[in-house]
Amino acid sequence: MTSASITCTDLTVRFPVYGVDAKSLKKSLARVVSVGGKLGSHAGVADVTALQDVNLQLKAGDRLGLIGHNGSGKTTLLRTLSGAYEPDEGTVEVQGRIASLLDLSLGIDPQATGYDNIRLRGRIAGLSSREIEARMDEIAEFTGLGPFLAMPVKTYSAGMQGRLGFAAATAVDADVLLMDEWIAVGDADFQKLAHKRLLKLVERAGILVLASHEVGLLKLYCNKVMRLESGVASPVVDIRKLDELLAA
Amino acid sequence: MDSATHMLRTGRRGARFQLQMAFRDLRTSYQRLGLAWSLAWHDVVARYRGSILGPFWITLSMGLMVLGLGFLYATLFDLPLAEHLPFVALGIVFFGLMNGVINEGCETFVLASGMLSQTSLPMLTFVWRTIFRNLINLAHHLVIVVGVLVAFGGWREADPLLALVGLVLMVANAGWVSLLVAIASARFRDIPQIVISVMQFAIFITPVFWPVGRIAATHALLVFNPFYHLLDAVRAPLLGDKADPGTYLTLVTMALVGWTIAFLIFARTRRRIVHYL
Repeated sequence: MTSASITCTDLTVRFPVYGVDAKSLKKSLARVVSVGGKLGSHAGVADVTALQDVNLQLKAGDRLGLIGHNGSGKTTLLRTLSGAYEPDEGTVEVQGRIASLLDLSLGIDPQATGYDNIRLRGRIAGLSSREIEARMDEIAEFTGLGPFLAMPVKTYSAGMQGRLGFAAATAVDADVLLMDEWIAVGDADFQKLAHKRLLKLVERAGILVLASHEVGLLKLYCNKVMRLESGVASPVVDIRKLDELLAA
Repeated sequence: MDSATHMLRTGRRGARFQLQMAFRDLRTSYQRLGLAWSLAWHDVVARYRGSILGPFWITLSMGLMVLGLGFLYATLFDLPLAEHLPFVALGIVFFGLMNGVINEGCETFVLASGMLSQTSLPMLTFVWRTIFRNLINLAHHLVIVVGVLVAFGGWREADPLLALVGLVLMVANAGWVSLLVAIASARFRDIPQIVISVMQFAIFITPVFWPVGRIAATHALLVFNPFYHLLDAVRAPLLGDKADPGTYLTLVTMALVGWTIAFLIFARTRRRIVHYL
């Protein structure tokens, strides 16, 4: 197995903003028709620069905490690292199997049973049907939902749904873990279990990138930290300098 | 959320690079065809969960339509029922396949926005999902096809192999249209409405309900109607006829040109699609 690594070089990501208007075909056609007209003068697609010239080097053993205000680009960076967004400039390179635990409800179908949802989620995560069946017992046991797994997920409480999503999403063996907020869910008992499991995952995975606003969490799990400010990244510093970085 | 162990994304542009990336998407989606199949299967199961007949409900309503329209048009045009009912049945079932692949193509990327914005799953996976889902539905509707062919004895003259060739051509052609409308609908929300209208119009100007023999074979409604060629390539062999050689030529050309155009547009828009959503 290759050792995990993340390399971003002058990474810039822009979002084109297609307004409600721009989504209408009429406006687009009108733009073509009325050359130089009123519409045309505003027709250029605006864009927002979500990340600007971000440079980042992570190797196995690095657990990076991302801090920054809302809209500073934390989630965009995570999504870019997951491969969903493509850079507009620069490069992003990730070695290792990526598990993006950005949204636990991804691919959850409320009408389907717990078991079916675990299968679906596993398939999306890149497991084969056989691998899923092999892990099913373990996943099922971890959820602690017992007979409820045979019921449709819509009958679950929010906490139970959280358990299911968590168990299914963390069933993959990954080298790179991406997390938007620490995803420990459920009641106190489950949270303890979840923390243990996540810690194990983090230990196994070479790299963790965790975006969070909670200083305590970051200090607990991360050994490095980076601050994003309107898409511009600070240098990566040791977690002990977190307070300085926050104050800056 | 990806089994790939190496991911490299760059801001490089240029037609050649974009084409390369589009081909890579194609390759990965092919390697993970099983995922597209699982998603499609889940769609079908999910849609009909809790109903006793499941997808056979559509089969049933299609069957009723076949009976109703078959009898009606046979009477109106004074045609033998044994000839006209199988004709209508096959027409409705296979036009339904094209209709489904193209209409549901509008939602291909829109419905997958959650997955597309958080994972590096290949985009074409979702196009195959739409196609597979409709093939699964078709498998149910084959009951009607087999039913009428057996009931009216048409199965003796049917040539299923040639019909299969026609079916492949039909799916190949509906596929590129599906990809195109998927991209267009992600960008412009008016497209689905237009597509639905066009397909509705198409079913009436194509000999689905009314017999081919009523107009000359050289009539523009037949010669320049792609849906007629698509349908005829599947229907004619099953009815013991042969589709015109020109039909096959048309369909192969259409598939090649269509996929080339659709794929080039896909290559050009691929990196933007996730932002459209």
